[in-house]
Parts: sequence; C-alpha cells; structure tokens
Amino acid sequence: MVDRLLEVDRLAKRYGAVAALDELSFEVGPGEIFGFVGPNGAGKTTTMRIILGVLAADSGGVRWAGEPITFADRRRIGYMPEERGLYPSMGVTEQLVFLGELHGMTRDGARAAAAAWLERLGVAGRGAEQLQRLSHGNQQRVQLVAALLHSPEALVLDEPFAGLDPVAVDAMSEVLRDRASSGMTVLFSSHQLELVEQLCDRVGIIRAGRMVACGTVDDLRHSGPERLWVDVPSAPDGWGAELPGAGLVRAEGSRRLFELSPGIDDQGLLRAALKTGPVREFRKDVPSLAELFRQAMNEEAVA
Amino acid sequence: MNREPSARGGLGSVRAVYLVARREFVTRVRGKVFVIGTALTVGLLAVYAILQITVFDKLNTTTTYHLAFTAQAERLIAPLEASGPSLGFRVQATQVSNQAAAEPEVRGGAYDALVTGDPTSPLVVVKTQIDSTLRAALDGVVRQEALDAQLRAAGLNPAAVEAQVRGASIHLDTLQPFNAKNLQQPIIGMIIAFCLYLFISLYGTIIAQGVVAEKASRVVELLLAAVRSGQLLFGKVLGIGLVGVLQLAIIGGAGLALTVPTHILSLPGAALGTVLLGLLWFALGFVLYSLMLASTASLVSRVEEVGPASLPVTMVMVLAWLLAYVVFIPDITAASGGPTPAPGIENLSTIASLIPVFSPVLMPIRLAYGDAPLWQSALAVLLTLSSIAGVTWAGARVYANSVLRFGARIKLSQALRRVA
Repeated sequence: MVDRLLEVDRLAKRYGAVAALDELSFEVGPGEIFGFVGPNGAGKTTTMRIILGVLAADSGGVRWAGEPITFADRRRIGYMPEERGLYPSMGVTEQLVFLGELHGMTRDGARAAAAAWLERLGVAGRGAEQLQRLSHGNQQRVQLVAALLHSPEALVLDEPFAGLDPVAVDAMSEVLRDRASSGMTVLFSSHQLELVEQLCDRVGIIRAGRMVACGTVDDLRHSGPERLWVDVPSAPDGWGAELPGAGLVRAEGSRRLFELSPGIDDQGLLRAALKTGPVREFRKDVPSLAELFRQAMNEEAVA
Repeated sequence: MNREPSARGGLGSVRAVYLVARREFVTRVRGKVFVIGTALTVGLLAVYAILQITVFDKLNTTTTYHLAFTAQAERLIAPLEASGPSLGFRVQATQVSNQAAAEPEVRGGAYDALVTGDPTSPLVVVKTQIDSTLRAALDGVVRQEALDAQLRAAGLNPAAVEAQVRGASIHLDTLQPFNAKNLQQPIIGMIIAFCLYLFISLYGTIIAQGVVAEKASRVVELLLAAVRSGQLLFGKVLGIGLVGVLQLAIIGGAGLALTVPTHILSLPGAALGTVLLGLLWFALGFVLYSLMLASTASLVSRVEEVGPASLPVTMVMVLAWLLAYVVFIPDITAASGGPTPAPGIENLSTIASLIPVFSPVLMPIRLAYGDAPLWQSALAVLLTLSSIAGVTWAGARVYANSVLRFGARIKLSQALRRVA
C-alpha cells in the first residue's frame, strides 16, 4: 500500500504578473478525505486543473503513487470542475455513458454504472431526459455521477457542495464518506468550513498560492498557543492585564480570554483567578476551523 | 501500481477520436436540423421531379393525329409518318373504303382528317379547320410525291436522286471549335467547387458553433480531463464531417434516383472520374478548413462571437471561390465560343491551385478541365496534407490554450504563444 497516492510538489503557476501558485506542496493518501480551503483566488481551482492535466504548471509536478502522473493515471481520477457543465441538450444517461467510455469503460459497463449511481443519488427515472430539463440540484447530482461513474481511485471535486440544498449536501457527504471508507482518495475544496471539519481527515489552508496550514483538523486546532476562558465575576476591572505567563487576549463582560506563554502551566492562572473570588468558568479554548481560517488569513494580511 | 495503460486506464488515440466522433455523429444525425433539413431538401427534389414529369413534359409532348386514308391515298402514310418526329407529331393511320363512309366519323371527331384521291393532289376533309402543322406536313409529302412523279416521267429513279441530294453538303472550317466535352467538364468542376464551398461553409460553421457550445456549457473541462485536446478537435471534425457526407449522400442519392430514371438529368460517364477526384478534394478541403474554423472559434466564449472570430478563415474561402471565377470563367466562355482568355491567366490558375488553402476549390476544376498534369495534382495533395498536419498542430495548440479561458476574446498570437 502506498501512503501517498497523490502528491503535489512545489507547484508554481503565473498568470502574467500574478502568481496563482507559489511552490505549493501537499499530499493525499489512499482512502483519505482532504479538504482544501482558502479564499477565492487562492489557487485551489488552478491546483485541481493542474492535477487533472487541464492546465500545465510553470514548474513543480504532480505525482501519482510516487511517480510523475501520466495521462493514463489521470483517467483514474474522477473530476468535478468548478465550472459545472455537461451537454445541456443531450440525454442524461447518454452523456454519462459517453463520459464513462472516454474513461475507458465499456458501453454496457458505463450504462450499468450510470443507472446504479443515478438510483443511489435519487435521480433514477430521469436518465432518458435532456439534462437541461432537470432542476439545478439534480444537474449537480448528475455532475457528481459523471465524476464517480468509472470507479476512480481518486476524486478531485472543486466546490462539490456549492449551491446544494441541505438534503443534497447530506447525500453528497454520505457518498464521499462511503467512497473514502472503501479506499477512494478524495480531494475537495469548499467554503463551508463546518462541513470540511466534519468530513475531512486532513485539511489544507491555502492563501495566495501558498499552503499556510496543513494537517488533521485536531492538529490544527491544537497547534496554536494554549488559550483559556476564565469567568471571574468578582475581579476588578483591570484584572488580568499583567499576569506572568498569561496574556489577556480580550474581555467579554466578566469573561476573559488568556493566551498562555509556551511552557506555562494553566494551574498558575487558575490560582490567580481564585484570588479574585469565585471562578465560574475555566476552560480551554479550541478554535473552530473557521476561526483558524480567519486567523490564518489575518496573519497573512499582517505579514 | 501498474504503470502500463490498463484495460481501464488506457484509451488509445483512435478510440478517443472514435468516441468523440461517434457522439457528434449520433447526436447530430438525430437532431432536428439534420432530419428536417434533409427531409425538406429531398422533398423539394421530389416535388421538382414530379412537376417535371406531370407539367413540364406535357408542354412539349408530341401530338397524335388520327387520320383516315382511302386506298388510293395510302401511299402518303409512310412519308407522312417519317416526317412526324421532326415536326413533333405521330400518325395513327386507318384505312377506310371510301370518302362517304368516313365523313360521318370526321364530323363525329374520331378522325382529325380524311385523306382521299390522287397522292399528288389529294382531297383532305376536316371538320372545322386543319391543324397548321398537319397541313404543312401533308403539303410537304404531297410536293415530294409530285416531284417523284415528275422524276419518274423524266426517266430518273427518285430514290437515287434523293440520295444524291442528301449527300450534298457544305464543307465547314471552324476557326474556334466548340467542344461540348470541354464545356461540360469545367462546368462539372465548377459545380463540385461550389458544392465544396457550400459544404465547408455550412458544416465548418456547425463545427465552430459546436466548439463554442462546449466551451460555453463548460463541459469541455470535463472532456479535457479524459482526452487530449487534439483528439477532441479531430474527433469533432471527423464526426460532423461524416454527418455532412451522409446528408450529401442522401440528398445526392435521392436526386439521382429521382432524376436519372425520369431522364431529367443524364450523368455522363466521363464525369465519374471528375466526381471521384472531387470527393478526394472534398475531404481534404473540409478537414483543412474545419480545423481552422474550429480553432479560431475556440478563441471566443459565446456562439454569437463565432462569426467575427472566424471571419479571416471565411474570407480566404470566399477568395478561393472568387479565384475560381476569375480563372475559369474565361476558359469556359472561350470553350463555348467566347473571347480567348488573357495569356497570363493560365499561370495564375496553376500557381493558385497549388496554394493549399485554394487547392481544394481550384484543383477539382482544373482536374475536370484536364489541364492539371499529374505531378501538379500530386504536389497539391501533398502540400494540402502537410498543411493539414500544420493546422492540426497549431489548431490543437490554439484550441488547448483558449478552450478553458472564458470571457473576452483571446488574441490568436497569444493563443499560439502561451503554453497551457
């Protein structure tokens, strides 16, 4: 078993004066769900297009199972481009079969797989219709079928949840979890950070073409300096501003958020708090992915 | 991990092109434009053929005269029948015993005329008036009869005299001979060239629109993740080209089936070679032009912009067709007795027909005309094939560079330079 199915190695891409990708590297293992987050224009779509060979990188490379990716390897990837699109006036099953055949399936195999996936995603019975007769949500499901049809070894999905209703989001998440548990590698980008947090084994935060944070959600959440919320209702107004080893981040009413210096034990802070009177709350503050994301964006903006 | 193309991962170029071509072919042949367009054209041909048989043919059918002859006048039947075809009538002759017996039937309309009496001065009985053609024919026959009688009286053999008279003719010296073959061939060539021009305009436009439609619907990104841009481009040209060939075959086949048996059109055997060579140029010209049209179309993002973007290509095509006019119309008019063409024009036609973008239109005409030596013909094919190779390379590059860039129109130079 290879532990890195898909590797992106120091990719660089410029559009004129703008650097879309700047030495971007990360890797995704088999059966792993990797979430790719970052603001618009950070380079997520460019990265995915380069992985699929739709765009060429200026430098750097993409590796599949340890070797430079080939055209044949790319056919083992299921792709959902950011710009959705199928043939509007072609029948649903017909174009799925066509796309399946382009990925090396037989006609019958593609037909059977299309029927099975349409059924599973709740679009069964619409196969004979022209795509344009389907609702936006159903067209999205057909688009997902187009990516899944040929049983790819990896899925690369650009904003798969964009524009989906909650039911469709659940269906899509369910499919991704299920595929990953059966060994499929999934790389997807999203702005819905809660979803990324729930679904992904690992997350990469990208900004201006560079990876600013990458790891499991837990690692990322615990990677920063330790922060604690302390609720001290009897403390005087200015309390906490000059405690050794604990910096006051902000105060909200009687609650105060402290950031501990590296290597400082939280019990010292608790003792100091108890001196002011009762302590109603004393808990670790673990940032959500959304907070980490904002933090990462701000740090970059300052830097 | 298996690095070789496996049954699932590997897809040969031929299969990729075939799949793309098949999709284009199948979806378009089933499309409304094709079905209605073809049915309408065949329908119009059928209406024309039916009109030709029922109405136009009636306008110049030969009339049949029902004539009654008494025994004495019977000698006039054979010469009268002989003069019929040239004057456009046929004779239905009936022998009657005498004038009195036949007159009521003339009155009743069963006979157009009754001929009785001495063949050199017969009596012709009609109901109200005699048809002028019939009268002229009868007069001619009777005059010949009178002449023959005089000749016999003079001791001469009328048949021998007639043979002498028939044998006498002028001796003709044509300074600029009219050659029907020389006229027919270039006209067939011009028709082929014009068909090619129409075909390329029509189907080239369909290809160009197809390229932009795939770009506009964004499906192209999904396709390019599975097939190379060159395969996609070539498959498209092939598939839509075959649709065009099919439509031509249906319309042409229906046209021949309707016109040849009804003698509206006769296909000269000599033209067959011209038609076959024309088909070769059809294929070459179509591939060359549609590749150019498809790659220029990929520069734009909306179907409305296809026309302006492909204008340079269309202009070249129009220029080729205009050249055909300038170069060959003088030849054709000369063949049919018009003024001799200017001396430089032959060199112009030779040079122009060797330029790849003009060859597909000009070569079929020259071939039909019979003035293209084999080496020139072969050279033109070779040059066109190599420019197809060049256009495939450049076109695929332009296509690959442009097809994923949406929005404003992309400059051709930029699309050629940038590596995707």
